[in-house]
Amino acid sequence: MKAPLSWLKEYVDIKLSPKELGEKLTEVGLGVEKIIQTSDDVIFELEITPNRPDCLSIIGVAREIAAIENIKVKPQGVIGRHPKGVIGKPTKSLPLTIKTDSKINPRFTGIIIDNIKVRESPKWLKERLENVGQRSINNIVDITNYVMLELGNPIHAFDYDKIVGSTMIVSQTKGGEKFESVDGVSYHLPKNAVVISDKEKIIDLCGIKGGKNSGTYEGTKTIFIRVPVEIPNLIRRTSQALGLRSDASSIFERGINAGGTLDALKRCVDLVLEIAGGDVASNIYDIKSQDFKPWKLKLRKERLNKILGIEIPVKKILAILEALNLSPVLKKDAIEATIPTYRNDLKIEEDLIEEVARIYGYNNFPKTMPIGEIPIQQIPYFKDCKLDEKIKNILKASGFSEIYTYSLTSEKDLVEAGINSQSTLRVDNPVSREFEYLRPTLKINLLKALNQNRANFERINLFELGKVYTGKHLDDATENYFLSGISNSKSFFEIKGVLEKLLEDLGIKDDVTKYVEILPKGIFFELNYSQILKKISARWRTNKIFNPLPKYPPVVEDLSIVAKNNTKTIDLIEEIKNQSSLIVDVSLLDQFEDSKTFHIIYQDKNKNLTGEEVKKIREVILKVLKEKFGAVLKE
Amino acid sequence: MQIKNSAVSMIIDATDQKELEEIKLQFLGRNGKLTLAMKEMAKLPKEKRPEIGMLANDVKKIIEETIKNHELRIMNQESETRAAKIDVTNPGIKPNIGHLHPMTQVLYEVVDIFKRIGFQVADGPEIETDYYNFEILNIHKDHPARDVQQTLYLDTRGSKSNPGEIILRTHGSNMQGRIMETIKSPVRAIYPGKVFRYEQVDASHGFEFWQLEGLAVDKNLALTDLFGTMSYVVKEFFGSDTKVKFVSHNFPFTEPSAEAYMGCTVCKGKGCSFCKHSGWVEILGCGMIHPNILKAVGYDPQKVSGFAWGMGLSRMVTLKYQMDDLRLLTNPDLRILEQF
Repeated sequence: MKAPLSWLKEYVDIKLSPKELGEKLTEVGLGVEKIIQTSDDVIFELEITPNRPDCLSIIGVAREIAAIENIKVKPQGVIGRHPKGVIGKPTKSLPLTIKTDSKINPRFTGIIIDNIKVRESPKWLKERLENVGQRSINNIVDITNYVMLELGNPIHAFDYDKIVGSTMIVSQTKGGEKFESVDGVSYHLPKNAVVISDKEKIIDLCGIKGGKNSGTYEGTKTIFIRVPVEIPNLIRRTSQALGLRSDASSIFERGINAGGTLDALKRCVDLVLEIAGGDVASNIYDIKSQDFKPWKLKLRKERLNKILGIEIPVKKILAILEALNLSPVLKKDAIEATIPTYRNDLKIEEDLIEEVARIYGYNNFPKTMPIGEIPIQQIPYFKDCKLDEKIKNILKASGFSEIYTYSLTSEKDLVEAGINSQSTLRVDNPVSREFEYLRPTLKINLLKALNQNRANFERINLFELGKVYTGKHLDDATENYFLSGISNSKSFFEIKGVLEKLLEDLGIKDDVTKYVEILPKGIFFELNYSQILKKISARWRTNKIFNPLPKYPPVVEDLSIVAKNNTKTIDLIEEIKNQSSLIVDVSLLDQFEDSKTFHIIYQDKNKNLTGEEVKKIREVILKVLKEKFGAVLKE
Repeated sequence: MQIKNSAVSMIIDATDQKELEEIKLQFLGRNGKLTLAMKEMAKLPKEKRPEIGMLANDVKKIIEETIKNHELRIMNQESETRAAKIDVTNPGIKPNIGHLHPMTQVLYEVVDIFKRIGFQVADGPEIETDYYNFEILNIHKDHPARDVQQTLYLDTRGSKSNPGEIILRTHGSNMQGRIMETIKSPVRAIYPGKVFRYEQVDASHGFEFWQLEGLAVDKNLALTDLFGTMSYVVKEFFGSDTKVKFVSHNFPFTEPSAEAYMGCTVCKGKGCSFCKHSGWVEILGCGMIHPNILKAVGYDPQKVSGFAWGMGLSRMVTLKYQMDDLRLLTNPDLRILEQF
């Protein structure tokens, strides 16, 4: 929203410098994005939030400034320059039939003006419009835009003579109807768009754009000025379906000042008569479903103080509400405010609380810390960050560096990774085809990361703990955390060792072999981290039990076994362990061709093991190994 | 005595271990001078033997001790010589430890800051329904606020859902409804996570980024508590001398709503391109939870109140480390990661 200082000054006295004013406006919620100095003016570019469509007008901004400076908006700026604020009696009465439906068009205000001269706008009007980025078209169109910018009610001027049968019918489209806008663009209208038709054709796309066939051009002699109240949802849906927006539609989408149509109409008529000449040629049409009057809203002082956390004196509260033109009255149980029709955003008590707080000034509030019971009950969706931290630190200590990559990937990447895109979750409106599918693995990005780093690094070890998304279609969609990594410098067994250490520290027994994959460019591992989390007990940090140091020395021996080449080491180890509870550890010491040397530790907690006892166990071991695996002691 | 003297003088002159060994052998070995001398003792008259015996033992002790002391001296000399041969000013050999991503480091730090004031961490779905992402947060289907957060919709073909019903969450606030529905007041929760928008990628925007949102609900929470808590977090994270200010703003899910700004860390408030010459940088949005939401989750707005906020975690990382491009955080270049 562009607001020139010179225009604002017509409505409110401004004593602050532009910079100070900008800061104050930002503080109360009208974010000043830029302050532009032109040769003779200062233009504020404001970010207006969706709840304040009333500030999409000069008068709206002026009201805010008045509230900040605690003064009143200048009266003459509101109603128009006409001395009595009324439109004179019509000189004649041109016919016009209006059929409207208040369910789709809550208010239809308008008037006919005859004998006008359509030509270039006067300099002051052109300049004002250009200052705020509006293109000058002709005096009539410019006036409608001017009043919209000034007062916040969009206005459209129809060429009266082009309204076939002098009949205007407001209705909703069925869908597919053709319409050419004043900009000369043709559309096929969507279903339920609110339109005005004459006896032949659609002449207006309500709330969005006028029709080319009924717009005001050089030859127009008589105009019908319409100031409507449109329904936000209807305008928004049509605007979105067509991808067509306008200043008017932006205002209607957010909620129009339903009580302001007559004032806007009067202002518009004044300017038309002044600039384009002509005579009023009808009574005022004002077809409405209700009277659109200000409404009352109660504010309880206790609730205000409770929500804000400070005691604001009643006098101050009243002063602020008064400055905001909310006509506060102190009643027994509460303050009663009267909300003008341009403040559609003030509907509940909390809305008033915000008004008081923001004008009081957020930075005038003390800062306190919450007082209350610190909640100890575990919240739903609880996540133990310490676990992630522990795992990441083990990987870091092992030489891996952490990466974060996108969840979205391309069909091309999926195909390259041998994944069927048909069974991958997909975004309907991706920002580009490069980011169309949700990754079911972290491998794609880790591989890319490995390749990317090869230009600058010899040894590359990377990991990611991130979400992957699986499911053939949405009903099966599951999100899981995967812990994956890639290395071009560690051996298969080193990677295995890292994973074994990781699981061991978490108290999980699992064979990690299945998680490791040897790729052409490096070794890759991937674990379903979410699954692992399920296996961990809640007390993983404290589930260790101290093993008292053995009182008696162990007996250690190395046993070299010759077994068939396809015998798995792990099977041999398991089998050896099974032979006696006095065997506390078996590990592979060495391997050469078909012989494996196992390092065996025998320990009895309660006494010294004798050579005889160990011999007996060893004999059993060798017997079983021979029976099960055909393995024999090496000569 | 003669033996002793000659032994000691030889020991003192010895320059290395080997020599000392030889001396030891020479005097104390099987055919050493002292040993032989002690054998001679047998030829001495009986009365003289004890005296000579003691003397011999003393001499032996002295020789042994002297050797020991000089061993030490020689060893020290040798290590000094060794040290002089290497350049100790050379840089050390650093262990091959990897690096945690700056986002992880920032996340842990912020989580810590919140844990200190009683907050727990939660984690929820990224694939979300329109209901939890918008509707329950007071953003009905035609709300203009939906334009501010352009949504990525998931392909619903083959599923029970209609197009547009299942989306990638546009903000972490989807957790608000999910958490509050399931637990009674008081609650203090923070929920960091990835969010998705329909946005073209540039230095300060992307379609995927991280947020850290949270909420607190209790019997007596007020706006001053919100300002206090936000201020505490910003100062703990960016430094105790960081300036913090609040401006009025609007979100559909809070009332009153605010945005917090902090003094620009790059120019210290003087004005620079980073802060668009204003001296301030926007850091988070927040507000008192809207009564409609409290009602929707089953709380009584007259009995409890709450506040909620959202901060861009990705943004906090780039602010803290003065990185000028969000894309650096998803770039797996080790030259970036190694710096953290």
